[in-house]
Parts: sequence; structure tokens; C-alpha cells
Amino acid sequence: MRDLPETSAVAMVIKIDGYLDTMRATLDTFIVEKNLSAIYITSTIPSQSIKNVLNILEINLNRIHFVDCISHIMMGTAVRSEHVSFVESPTMLENIMLKVEFLMRSIEGKKIVLLDSINSLAIHNNIKILSEFLHILVNNLRAKDAYTLILSVEEQSSEEITNMLGLVCDEILNFTETK
Amino acid sequence: MPEVADKKMDAAEEDRCVTGIDGLDRILNGGIPRGNTVLITGSCGTGKTTLSFEFLLHGALNDENSLFVSVTENWEKLLKNVIPYDFFDERLLKTKKLIMVDLGSIYQKLGLEKAEFNVEDIDIIVRAVGDIVREWNIKRLVIDSITSICFQLKTKEKIRDFILSFGKNLSEAGCTCILVSEISPGEQSYSMYGVEEAIADGIVLMANLERRGDLLRTLQVVKMRGTMHSRAKYVLDLTPVGVLLVPLLKGGSVAGGG
Repeated sequence: MRDLPETSAVAMVIKIDGYLDTMRATLDTFIVEKNLSAIYITSTIPSQSIKNVLNILEINLNRIHFVDCISHIMMGTAVRSEHVSFVESPTMLENIMLKVEFLMRSIEGKKIVLLDSINSLAIHNNIKILSEFLHILVNNLRAKDAYTLILSVEEQSSEEITNMLGLVCDEILNFTETK
Repeated sequence: MPEVADKKMDAAEEDRCVTGIDGLDRILNGGIPRGNTVLITGSCGTGKTTLSFEFLLHGALNDENSLFVSVTENWEKLLKNVIPYDFFDERLLKTKKLIMVDLGSIYQKLGLEKAEFNVEDIDIIVRAVGDIVREWNIKRLVIDSITSICFQLKTKEKIRDFILSFGKNLSEAGCTCILVSEISPGEQSYSMYGVEEAIADGIVLMANLERRGDLLRTLQVVKMRGTMHSRAKYVLDLTPVGVLLVPLLKGGSVAGGG
């Protein structure tokens, strides 16, 4: 991951039990080593839960901005907090793009956008609209010199998702065999 | 040859009123052709006032005198309710780069506090606004809303006369004008009286789109004389850094999609 060129769009295929290790390694590499700010799109777990985990892992949250598109539909977990923008539903893909665009303009310096995960977005959206979303998002971010990392959990993936990632990403890193 | 092309390009850019709203300028191929009268139309809560106000703010920040004429509510109240833009600077008001007025106060000065206007009244109003535009060298004007003015004109003929002479007057002064138009949700036409849309040089339709229970704010440039433009629908968000636009994803709007 350290050698990825800027503007790369990369899919990271992981096993579910490697989730925490992958997140820690990713955030360490890009925030600590490469000194970037992160825009973390979460559609799997509410941002507050991720914050709690990252706190335990002693990862500095000051440079992580969340786009949380799951808390609202879980009724009651969307508590306003610093560095969190809420999207009402993971089906509002355009609003996810708009929040990312807003953060891209608001945060100074180089950025990485982390999408966690393509599988949970696929629960709420069909593959056609999801492909369109990824295609526009990735190309927009590429034009703005940002890294894009898309998380895919092997156990929840499908052939369609793999093909879609192959189409929009420059590279697919498979972390399932090292575990 | 490239020099000729560059000159043509420069001339085209000079003739544009760059809105400052990135997405909209891209849709319009560089901005609104200068001197155009554009109808921004939509139902309540679609972002018409916010978008129009941002258009004026960018003008004022770029040294173009800008005027907001509020018809329905007190401009100070309106200012409190629009998005707190990061780039808003109170000094723009103090230096008169951005001028905010209530149409009621203009009516009062003109002695036009009545329920229905006749043809002479229309002339007086058009001339009065034209005088303000020339006196203050206004380059951008927003009237929010034209529907409320039309309400006092009653007939389609009078509305037509008003918008035609109004647009001509402003265009001659090199002023680009936005007329905010209110329509009911689900309305098939672009204006309340059906006349405004035919006369305006441009129509920007703002709407709420319901898709599988989600409500999205959308924007679509239906018509804009003097420029090539996209006619696609975009989704927008009103943010402190300005109005942001992204394309409406089509996968969700086809049968069996999304």
C-alpha cells in the first residue's frame, strides 16, 4: 500500500476476521506515515462504533472525517458529533458523493477516501446504480488527486461486485491469503 | 489560427456572467450569457433563494455590484435564514457591493401600495428598478420572487409586458437577472402564470425528486439562450462552501433499477 501512486483507486479484498487489522494498517499507512487526511465513508457500522474501536487502537481521530450513511436508518444512533456528516440512507448515493465533495473542499492538504464497504452498499442498492456511483466517485477523486480505497469483504462478495471493482479500480489487493 | 481561436474563446468568456457555482458554470459551459434574464423555478424548499443569493455573493466578491430585491419577506430575516456561507463577508453590505432591498420600500417611495397594478404602474416599477441598476452600476440582480409581483398584475398580458420591458431594460444595462419563480409541487409548467417561462432567456428548474422514499433536491437547466448547456438532471446540496452538484444516477430511475 505504501507504494501506491497518487490518484490510485484500489480495492482491498479482506476476510471478515481481518477487518480490524486491515483498518489499522490502512489508517496507519495513510494518516501517520503519508500524513494525509481521511474521508471515511461508512455504510457498515455507525461512525460512533468505528470511532470507539479506533480510540482503542490509539489511532488519532483528528484527521478522520466520517460520512456516515448507516446511523440514520438505524433510528437513534445518528448523534451529531465532530467530524461526522450524516447521509440519511445508503440508497442516497448522490448525497454520499455530495458529502465527499464538501469534505474534499473543506479539508486542506492531500486526502484519502475510504469506502467501507462496497458489500454493505450492495445490500441497499442494485449493481447497476452502484457501478454508476463508483465510476463517478472514483473518477472525481482521481481528478482531485485523492487516493480511493474500497473495502470488500470476501465472505459477502459476489462475482458482480468483483467485476465492478475490476472495472473502476486500478488495482485489487487481495489480503485473504495472508491471513 | 490558434490565436484567432483563443480570441474567440476570450470574447465568449467575457460575455459570460460566471455564477461562481462550479457545477452550474460547468453545466452552462462557462456561465450565464451576460444580460440574460433567467427564471429559477421550483416549489418550496428546493433551494431557489439560496442558489440565487450565492450567485449574487460571487458577483459582489468579484467586484460586480449585485442587488437582491426581496418581495415576500424582509431581507434581514432572509439573510438570517440562508446557509451561512464561509465566503460571506458583512463588508460587502457596508461597501454596497451587495445591496439588499425590500420591494415594499420601493413601492412605498413610488406611492404604489395597492392590490392591483395597471399598465402605467408597470412602467413606473420597471423604470424605478432600471434607475437603481444604472445608478449603482448593478451587474447582477435577483428578484425573489417574480410570482409575488405577477400576483398584483393579474392578467397574462400585463405579466408579459412587465417581464419583457423589465428584461430589455436590464439587458441594455448589461445586468444579468435572476427571477425566482414559485410553482406548486408536481406542477407541469415552469411558472405560475405560464407566461414567465416563455419570455425568460433561461429556465433553471429546481425540484424535489422522490426515489424509493428518499427525497433528493434536483436542478436541471431546461433552456438557456446564447450558450450550449447540459439538459441533464443533477442532485444538489446546500453547504457552507456553496451549492454543490453531482449527476443524478440513472440506474435508480429506470424500470427495475435501484
